Amino acid sequence: MISFLGEVAAWFGDSANWLGASGILNRLREHIQITVAATAVSTVVAIPPAVWLAHRRIGGTFVVAVVNIARAIPSFAIVVLFLPISIRLGLGIGFWPTFLALLFLAIPPMFTNAYTGVAGVDPDLVEASRGMGMTDREVLTKVELPMASPVILAAVRVAAVQVVATATLGALVGWGGLGRFIVDGFAVRDSVEVFAGALLVAGLAIVTELVLGTVEKHVVPATLRTRADGVESVVA
Amino acid sequence: MRTHARRTIAGAAIVAFALIAAACGSGDDGGTIEGPTITIGSAGFSEAALVGEIYAQALEADGYQVERKLNTGTREIYAPALESGELDLIPEYTGSVLTFLGGTSTPDSDETYASLQVAWEPMGIEVLDYAPAQDKNGFVVTQATADELGLEKVSDLAAYNGTLILGGPPECPEREFCLKGLESVYGLEFAEFRPLDAGGPITVAALQGDEIQVGTMFTSSASIYANGFVLLDDDKGLQPAENLVPAVRSEIIEAYGDDFKESLNTVSAKLTTAELTSLNKFVEVDGEDPETVAAEWLKAIGVTE
Repeated sequence: MISFLGEVAAWFGDSANWLGASGILNRLREHIQITVAATAVSTVVAIPPAVWLAHRRIGGTFVVAVVNIARAIPSFAIVVLFLPISIRLGLGIGFWPTFLALLFLAIPPMFTNAYTGVAGVDPDLVEASRGMGMTDREVLTKVELPMASPVILAAVRVAAVQVVATATLGALVGWGGLGRFIVDGFAVRDSVEVFAGALLVAGLAIVTELVLGTVEKHVVPATLRTRADGVESVVA
Repeated sequence: MRTHARRTIAGAAIVAFALIAAACGSGDDGGTIEGPTITIGSAGFSEAALVGEIYAQALEADGYQVERKLNTGTREIYAPALESGELDLIPEYTGSVLTFLGGTSTPDSDETYASLQVAWEPMGIEVLDYAPAQDKNGFVVTQATADELGLEKVSDLAAYNGTLILGGPPECPEREFCLKGLESVYGLEFAEFRPLDAGGPITVAALQGDEIQVGTMFTSSASIYANGFVLLDDDKGLQPAENLVPAVRSEIIEAYGDDFKESLNTVSAKLTTAELTSLNKFVEVDGEDPETVAAEWLKAIGVTE
């Protein structure tokens, strides 16, 4: 065990493993790129409609249930299923099937949490706001969104961490990223490389969690901060 | 034929087997040969199972009792099963199995076959005549690339050193028969290596989308046939010989004698790489039943009527 960890340390110490197209730096860059892109696009696609539908109280649990069905499909199957779709769309292998699969994975939790977050705002509070003379728009932006923000941001954070972990599977459909170390290492039975790859992915996931956690702290109104984790564990 | 079989039977276990087989076979048509039931296994992929089915039907046509345990699994599973007697017959690939047994395979079919005969004999396994059909690692390009760059053989790629992208299984850069050998034996240099799959759908898509120009594929792969790819000739003999060969327990050969060998040798003699590739295409691309494909081919080559 000690010698294995020594080999892993030596792997990280070898500059040849850091540089070049298949080095850690480039794989890390690829991994961060696809994570940022997939998380950003999912946020834009999932959250506005969820917020609007919840604000209008349209759909209810039915919409959430339908969107959630997608979450039951294993990530591996989603990546593999998007390969022929991507090829048929002329997008080829590599980046696009991975990216599309990640969207498919990230959208449901974001949609569900945004919907539940807004729909879960105390009806008395919404009623009181209207009673105070707030317009419909003000109710949304000044009451519902701030109240729901801990849940929504927690959903973005959870989805981003999931995207970091799942982007690893892109290596199976010809994409790069940190998953390459795991897949390529496995192909030559190099457990040191596999372990190093897993460490890198885990490290990036932790960093993502910390960075987005910090963002949350700054965005969520101070009085609501304690709410985030409790609700997240129920919804996410 | 019956007396011949009886004369050559040796060992109590064999006799017991024969009695069981004979008992089971009683009441069958007159063409049935008495003797041990031959259990046929194969590696767990389509081509190996198809060839196993071909062996099975060819033997059945000659009156042997056959039991199918095709798609047995990996070589780590079926080779010990053959040695222990759980299986009696499997289709093998000369180079790969010789390497598995600790021998050294070469591009020469006869040489590899001879080494394999010696290597497996102590375990009571005999290899019959090998077929001309080979399933080796090969390098393919699209017809368009072949036309544009004038490519026929692997050494032709040297003229485009530093400009083409090679795609293959992730282990390719570490393997002598893949990138390492292309560099050392052929002196090739690629602009990039892209880790994909072992000649599967990702490699096909990457070739078609021109994301790679050279792909790795098995020489008898249906994908080559189905997509009109050009298989580059391994003119410097990088790949070891991988002829298909029936591997049989010696006890079966002792029980049945030369007629048994002849049944399979006749089939092997007709099995060329081109034939095998088109048979693979029927199964893997057109989705036909392996049993039907095997039966039709045996009829076409005149083994059955």
